[in-house]
Amino acid sequence: MSEVVLQARDLAKHYAVSSGFLRPKGLARALDGVSLSLHQGRTLAVVGESGCGKSTLARQLTMIETPTGGSLRIDGIEVGQADAAQRKLLRQRVQMVFQNPYASLNPRQQIGRALEEPLAINTGLDARERAQRARSMLARVGLRDEHYARYPHMFSGGQRQRVAIARALMLQPRLLVLDEPVSALDVSIQAQVLNLLMDLQDETRVAYAFISHNLAVVELIADDVLVMYLGKVVERAPKRAVFATPRHPYTRALLASTPRIDARARQARQVLSGELPSPLAPPPGCAFHQRCPHAIDRCRVDAPVLRDLGGAQWVACHRVDELG
Amino acid sequence: MALLVVEDLKVEFASRNAPLRAVDGVSLSVSAGEVVGIVGESGSGKSVTALALMGLIEEPGQVSAARMSLDGRDLLTMRPRQRRQLLGRDIAMIFQDPVSSLNPCFTVAYQLIETLRIHEGGRTSALRARALQLLRDVEIPDPQRRLDAYPHQLSGGMCQRVMVAMAIACRPRLLIADEPTTALDVTIQAQMLALLLKLQRERGMALMLITHDLGVVAEVAQRVLVMYAGQVVETAGVDELFERPRHPYTEALLSALPEHNIGRRRLHSMSGVVPGAYDRPAGCLLAPRCGYVQPRCHTRPPALSGAVGAQARCYYPLNTPDAAPGAP
Repeated sequence: MSEVVLQARDLAKHYAVSSGFLRPKGLARALDGVSLSLHQGRTLAVVGESGCGKSTLARQLTMIETPTGGSLRIDGIEVGQADAAQRKLLRQRVQMVFQNPYASLNPRQQIGRALEEPLAINTGLDARERAQRARSMLARVGLRDEHYARYPHMFSGGQRQRVAIARALMLQPRLLVLDEPVSALDVSIQAQVLNLLMDLQDETRVAYAFISHNLAVVELIADDVLVMYLGKVVERAPKRAVFATPRHPYTRALLASTPRIDARARQARQVLSGELPSPLAPPPGCAFHQRCPHAIDRCRVDAPVLRDLGGAQWVACHRVDELG
Repeated sequence: MALLVVEDLKVEFASRNAPLRAVDGVSLSVSAGEVVGIVGESGSGKSVTALALMGLIEEPGQVSAARMSLDGRDLLTMRPRQRRQLLGRDIAMIFQDPVSSLNPCFTVAYQLIETLRIHEGGRTSALRARALQLLRDVEIPDPQRRLDAYPHQLSGGMCQRVMVAMAIACRPRLLIADEPTTALDVTIQAQMLALLLKLQRERGMALMLITHDLGVVAEVAQRVLVMYAGQVVETAGVDELFERPRHPYTEALLSALPEHNIGRRRLHSMSGVVPGAYDRPAGCLLAPRCGYVQPRCHTRPPALSGAVGAQARCYYPLNTPDAAPGAP
């Protein structure tokens, strides 16, 4: 196994939420005990629907927020105990790409300047060297030299996402957290950006945490998959296992809900009823039991924990053995 | 006889330099009870086509067509007042973002009753009962309580159900759904598609589904139109289209899908982007990006050709019996 870049253990983020004047504050468990590790040159996909905590997870991994519980180690350094200088160094090693590239670029800043900014802040390179690095990065992400002096509005969506990826790579990070990086793009552009991401990973051995709701994209790009539901991991396994033999009922429902082109690949559709419960008032027992077609009495009171089923496949479900 | 007939629809947005032709000669027909999918990437003109049908194109947009009729009634020569009565009653539309399609200041009941009152009239108490029934029809749990809810109190999926309830309130003959599931999660998307199909079957309503998601089209539609840069480039039955695409653009779209590239380390991808108002090619609009391009493609734009029901806008269509793929 390749080198571990980041390790999270029982990571939790609880937000205090006001539920009205003079009412007690509610506690939203956006992230509730998530463990994962990211390896050099590998891609971990985080899958789940809105409200499952995947973007909260991204904000903890990138140190934008401080988790309320658990431990986070980046390059062997415990983030919670790191001093300011160490944290600054760690922040350079973990970079992020957001869903909407237009919103994440400054409309009044030339692309070249945007790429140089991280170098100006974090390195002692002079202006000439910074410009040189920015230009070579433009070429690496498939943009042309004349793009250096242009503004974000002059680019198409796919090109802007290339710029966002280029900027994230300027400091040669060890880990790139990608939050729905291709969701806003058209199919043909999505393919171009996915190819770019895979090429860059081959060149630089950077680790990806790839957050997505699109299972078709995940099946292509991921090495390992983490399926989340209401702040918890319900299944964690190598990609092949998740797509060939999904074990958690929610993973199965997600796969069955994904529209398929190939008529033979379409399963007898079992539409999942109901919607995601509120993280402010999660149901007792298994968070999924209200929507689960296989729920029994035990699921309503007793929350299942992740269990190793062999072959690196971990599932949190009481009935996993019976369901096969 | 077809329910909706559109011939040579053009929508132009004037600008100082070059006018932008968002829709460029689209012809289509939808039969009663049929499910037609319109697919295309952003800027292909699929939404503008729908807005033109609904009469929702505003200045400086210019709509023109050789023919546009619903159930034999000409929409082009109709007085605006008559047309407004038709829209929302016989043709209804739902949009991508359900939360911003609803008025945040009024309750669900108010907005549903407003639709019913404008088109059918009647006493408020009777209309309220009908609104309740509509919420049941779209399978909203606890409908009695949801009637008096404001949009912000409902989830995105729930708001989209309210939009569907409003759209089917007057039993339309045609429902236009513009990316109805794009903003929804995948399990909610499956619920919404199942609901739309159920309503379409039960009510014998025609459904025009506009989407960029080829998977959704493959599962739901009977017939598909593929649009590119304002034109229909291919039209065919759903199985035909996905198994034997005729137009190189359709083929490229399908081969760019992640699910068609599993096990490969790289996806097939088409270089370049959709042409804009200023860089429209003289010949075939796909010519600069097409892998099968021939000299002729650069000079004159091809017309839609082929047997009725399976046409492609290409000089050298693929997967046809009389032409080997890509051969001139």
